[in-house]
Amino acid sequence: MKRQDRTRFSAILLITGALLGGAGPVTAQEPAPPAPDPQGPPPKAESRDARRPCDGCPARRVGWSFLQTTGINVVYELGNLARGQVTAHISPKSWWANMQQGMVWDLDDFTVNQIGHPYQGSNYFDSGRANGLNFYESAALTAFGSSTWEFFGETNHASLNDFINTTLGGITLGEMLHRTAWLIRNTQATGKRRLWSEIGATAVDPITGLNRFTSGDASRVTDKPPEFVPSSLGAVASAGVLWRGSQSSAFNAAGDPFLEVDAYYGDTNTGRSRTPYDAFWMRMRFGGGSSFSEARVRGRLYGQPIAHGLQFSVIQTYNYQNNDAYSTGSQAIDAALGTTRPLSSRTNFWILGWGGLTVLGAVDSLPLGVTEKPEEKEPSAGQGVSEGPRFYDYGPGSDFGALARLARDGRDVALFFYVGRQIYSLDGVRANHFLQHTRVDLLFPLRGRFGVGTSAEYFHRRSYYQDAARTTQTFHYPQLRAYLTWRHQ
Amino acid sequence: MKWLWMCAVVWLMPASALAQEAQATPPSRLWIVAGVASGTLRGHCQDCAQDFPFRHGPAILGNAGYRVSPRMDVGADVFWMQWHNESGHIRATAIDAVAQFRPWGSKGFFVKGGAGMAFVRNWVQTIGPHPDDSKALAVVFGGGWEFNTKSRLGLQLFAMQHVGALGDLQTTSGPVADVTGNFWSLGAAIVIR
Repeated sequence: MKRQDRTRFSAILLITGALLGGAGPVTAQEPAPPAPDPQGPPPKAESRDARRPCDGCPARRVGWSFLQTTGINVVYELGNLARGQVTAHISPKSWWANMQQGMVWDLDDFTVNQIGHPYQGSNYFDSGRANGLNFYESAALTAFGSSTWEFFGETNHASLNDFINTTLGGITLGEMLHRTAWLIRNTQATGKRRLWSEIGATAVDPITGLNRFTSGDASRVTDKPPEFVPSSLGAVASAGVLWRGSQSSAFNAAGDPFLEVDAYYGDTNTGRSRTPYDAFWMRMRFGGGSSFSEARVRGRLYGQPIAHGLQFSVIQTYNYQNNDAYSTGSQAIDAALGTTRPLSSRTNFWILGWGGLTVLGAVDSLPLGVTEKPEEKEPSAGQGVSEGPRFYDYGPGSDFGALARLARDGRDVALFFYVGRQIYSLDGVRANHFLQHTRVDLLFPLRGRFGVGTSAEYFHRRSYYQDAARTTQTFHYPQLRAYLTWRHQ
Repeated sequence: MKWLWMCAVVWLMPASALAQEAQATPPSRLWIVAGVASGTLRGHCQDCAQDFPFRHGPAILGNAGYRVSPRMDVGADVFWMQWHNESGHIRATAIDAVAQFRPWGSKGFFVKGGAGMAFVRNWVQTIGPHPDDSKALAVVFGGGWEFNTKSRLGLQLFAMQHVGALGDLQTTSGPVADVTGNFWSLGAAIVIR
């Protein structure tokens, strides 16, 4: 690099730092707070309450939320250092090098990028929520935490995919975990019952939990903030056996056990909503071919009833799937249109269609001519340094889908689900990936909360390679399940 | 270094001078930002061994959108930057959906972030008479200070980083894989609310 260029670039960075860090001249011009008037009304007994929108709400502490977000980065950094990661040996020199380099794509493991980073982002997000920031303010804080981690938390160059995954995934998972923790927390209880409810909530949302313990909120008896009391709540847990098919549609005789949990927070199907995530749906599946095979979160950002019983919604989604046809993870924003129609006094039919943009999606892929992913070698550059090759692609794309549900006496009896996802690879093997998943569930009530169910699924993947021959590759397989369900409503 | 001095002078300019110009009128829901910046761009590719140069040029930045709350604005961000020499030019336009957040309502500090699309004409070593156009995934983040936040007319100083991930860049000498570009900008803008 030329000396002149270096000097000029350095000057820009220095001024940037001064601009972001220094507010001295302006702060000095802020009017001083008025002196207390001896004739005026007496000051409030608890000035802290002025920062709480409601008795059970956390106090609003914006500066503290930024400090905590930086503290979370320090904790992750120290964790990496303790694990002996080479990338944790940060210094002002590595910060400078990262700022000069700018953003790149990284070569990390699929699970680290698609689950680890969104989880780390959820910590940033929840440091905002725990300190009284609203959803959108906490979203901005997540971007702040994510970008500072990328430039200053590791010696690795700042990663574009991490920045997007940590920020968008962190927002989705963060709000979902924050609201789930508020369901566990019993703010009216005292003694051991209260303590255990706070500990349980802390396990789900550690940052809010720690804030509550340190501020004393964990022992204050108050009402729950109304924002975190859902209009309705439901969950279905399914445990059973899953039989996977193959490319030739033949099924494996031996099934894989699985556990799947669906949670319905609020009513995503109706109502005018301006409160993000006042309604969301979450699915997690363990087992069935891999230890953690599916995670989906769909949180409503906006809801508006329109004409003819139709409901319009804007939905933020987090998606992670690991199956024999594809491993994929993505962050997307969808627009959805749905309607609920009564078929009889006891039977309802709900249908929803959606389409949207995938900001960043990841999908596993192998270069043409390679049929199996090779064994990963020990990194020669040191622990924590990903040297590649990376066997998945990154890119933006689109998604669309439909969901139909038939319910009798408030219980689902039949479900149809279809989702199509297109990912245009920008980094990795050059291809356009089209992934489809169709699923039909039939559910029968047994006694009380219990029932049985059976599902048929079909996974289909087609990759359009951008080689000279315009090669396409298709992979598909069916899947069947039988399971016992337990329903909470 | 002239531009550096200018930035310093603007930064040190008392906010009260602006406050005198525009009386405290209740701001509308509109959010418009228009400004200029000094930009630096650098393109690189993942597998390229060479050290690509930093290039400097003028840039324009604009925002149009909606004030969600006194602390939060959302809208579109347009960033345009050009660099040229005798052999050709590089031109980049990024259009992003952005959110701007002012953590302290009474102070002007803000952070901004978003994602969208970038359109790039020519790149690093491929400048020539036959321009290559590329579309890219774009993200933007940065921050700054806004003066006179309570009235309809304000001024902001900003430092932003725009990133464009092109994927493959088609050039006359063949495709270059995994091309990413970073654009740093430092500038000032008028804010209308």
